[in-house]
Amino acid sequence: MKKSKMLLGFACLLTLCFAFGPSQAMAADSVKVGIVLPLTGSMAKFGEIENQSFKMALEEINAAGGINGKKLELLIEDTTGRPDVGRSVVEKLITKDKVVMIGGGYSSSVTYGAAGVCQQNQMPFLVNTGSADKITSSGWDYVYRLNPPVSKYASAVESLMTEVVKPKTVAILHENSLFGSKGAKSFSKTCGKLGIKVVLKEGYEHGGIDYKPVLSKIKQLNPDIVYMISYIMDASLLMKQAKEMKLTPKLFVGGAAGFTLPEFKTNAGVASDKVISATLWHQILPFPGAMDYYNKFKSRYHKSVDYHGAEAYAACYVIADVLKRAKSFKNTDIKAALDETDMMTVFGPVKFVTWGKLKNQNKADTYVVQWIEGNLELVWPANLATKPLVYPVDWLKTWGY
Amino acid sequence: MKKQYIALLIVGLFLLGFPAVVHSSYYQHLLIITFIWVIIGSSWNLLAGYTGQVSFGHAIFFGIGAYTAGILATKLGISAWWGMLLGGFVSMAIALFVGWVCFRLRGPYFALATLAGGEIFRLIATNWESLTDGMVGILIITTFKSKLPYYYLSLGLAAACIFAIHLIMKSKWGYYFVSIREDQDAAESLGINTSLYKNISLLVSAFFTGLAGAFYMNYMGFIDPEVVFSLHYISIMAILVGIVGGVATIMGPAVGALVMVGLQETFRSSFFGLAPSWVSQGHALVFGLLVIFVIMFLANGIVGDWGKIKRYVFRRKVFRV
Repeated sequence: MKKSKMLLGFACLLTLCFAFGPSQAMAADSVKVGIVLPLTGSMAKFGEIENQSFKMALEEINAAGGINGKKLELLIEDTTGRPDVGRSVVEKLITKDKVVMIGGGYSSSVTYGAAGVCQQNQMPFLVNTGSADKITSSGWDYVYRLNPPVSKYASAVESLMTEVVKPKTVAILHENSLFGSKGAKSFSKTCGKLGIKVVLKEGYEHGGIDYKPVLSKIKQLNPDIVYMISYIMDASLLMKQAKEMKLTPKLFVGGAAGFTLPEFKTNAGVASDKVISATLWHQILPFPGAMDYYNKFKSRYHKSVDYHGAEAYAACYVIADVLKRAKSFKNTDIKAALDETDMMTVFGPVKFVTWGKLKNQNKADTYVVQWIEGNLELVWPANLATKPLVYPVDWLKTWGY
Repeated sequence: MKKQYIALLIVGLFLLGFPAVVHSSYYQHLLIITFIWVIIGSSWNLLAGYTGQVSFGHAIFFGIGAYTAGILATKLGISAWWGMLLGGFVSMAIALFVGWVCFRLRGPYFALATLAGGEIFRLIATNWESLTDGMVGILIITTFKSKLPYYYLSLGLAAACIFAIHLIMKSKWGYYFVSIREDQDAAESLGINTSLYKNISLLVSAFFTGLAGAFYMNYMGFIDPEVVFSLHYISIMAILVGIVGGVATIMGPAVGALVMVGLQETFRSSFFGLAPSWVSQGHALVFGLLVIFVIMFLANGIVGDWGKIKRYVFRRKVFRV
């Protein structure tokens, strides 16, 4: 008796759960594109910037007439920063929401997992941030990427090192993630090629708060450069603790991601000053609309924006351009339109080509920025610089000791 | 007694017919995930609920099962379906080792040892790159594009798991397990070989969890150490599924899995897009509140305290704590 009621209750619960999700009203005159971003979890800050940029671009595109008269609709879904959730989300977008293509893709692990689903379902996927080489070097023909692969992130840093700093030794620290470990590997390969000795290459766990053990190891080794590939909290904590320990290499170099976010400066405070980082974009770059976008973002959201936002903003325009040119919204037609993409965006020229092992990969340049008195200044290549590189740096004076 | 079987039959028929009525593979996916959690939750329940050995490290067995299938497929080119069979057995082998180490400890110390064990396996999977590809993870192309084979397979596995545990608990083993939970020393003094039966309980639990892990690899097609060896998303979730549904009840983990997976997805998607997106930020908070609520008012879980819920809901009588 008791148990039967219980089982009935179980059945009721089940039906209740599924009665919940009526398919959302379909607007016949809109084109749906799914965007996957980490809106919650430890990578939410990056997701937020990209989300806001996508929305800004979307409003502008629709105000300018949308996709040949139809409204562009973005279904922005939360991946929570986890690859398994990312995969389910993509599947949901394809089968339940019937989107015509997918965009977004933050963090290498999530993007790699999600890209596999897109390829299997032959769903065009325009990646704008996930950067592990593997995403475009797995031979997947439905996966396109706007940003350069992580192995190219440090190419501007490379020329800066050979031409200005000329270091002899370098220590590499990275988060144990797909992005971090692959970035560290390719950077240490670069160093080997340049004859720079890698005295330490160590990964640390995501979510850690105490980096002093590894930093004191670095202090003993006394390398010329400390290269760090980190997301947001770890980037700030690393610099704060380096300051506390008075660790003074010739330069602290960040491998993009956490080091270019405005939150890095807010969290690390004075410890962020004079830190340089690889980056993929700066508002000063001579791309049409780059400065406009930066100012619009700043006045709307009251904070500055880094390359993550520019990638998302540009990706939205690429998506709109592709959909406008596509013969129909069939996957093969959209793919054909993606193949023919050749346009200018705030992020620079976009064209998907196959080079080396990489397929459907946009070629984009990288740059070096430095935090100077609270502003992210472009310092390399020198002909584009907004301020000259501050080097050598007197760290103790910078930190106010 | 009869009514119980009728209800079971209704639920069974409902689940069997579900894909024929609801074609959306999204809902089928949610149910498949639920079935996976039914298996993990039930296995955890056998060890923790019935035998009283609370494990904080069930991700070990889940991860080992998943990695067995994944490594066989990527390194040796053997279909991950064979790996699925093997996943359960490799998990058992690992469980023997885990049991050998952890069963020297009792109560909270056992729980802490399994917690540490889970982290150890996660770190091994992260750093042993030549075998596991580290944080790159393992990606295989799944066999079927349709959800149906996975749906029925996972449904079958979940049913088999529940039925097996039901049989075990009806048998002598079941009584031994419960006696160990109630008082290990008294059980020992009655001549029960407690360390043998604790290990048997662990092995059965590990087998099904490993099977679930290997199925997960086959179904999702992608794993990395953070996904399958996660303390938060596997080990703790297994405990929540057990506690919310009802510890030491046969159907408890099934109800718990349904509630937890349902809640998680509801919040992740901000009530299926009906609520503003900030709602999804609240999912961790709601999980916390739910656990507090269950522990305070329904200490035996939804199934274990069904009588209480029924009184409260159907007779409108306020129940006292």
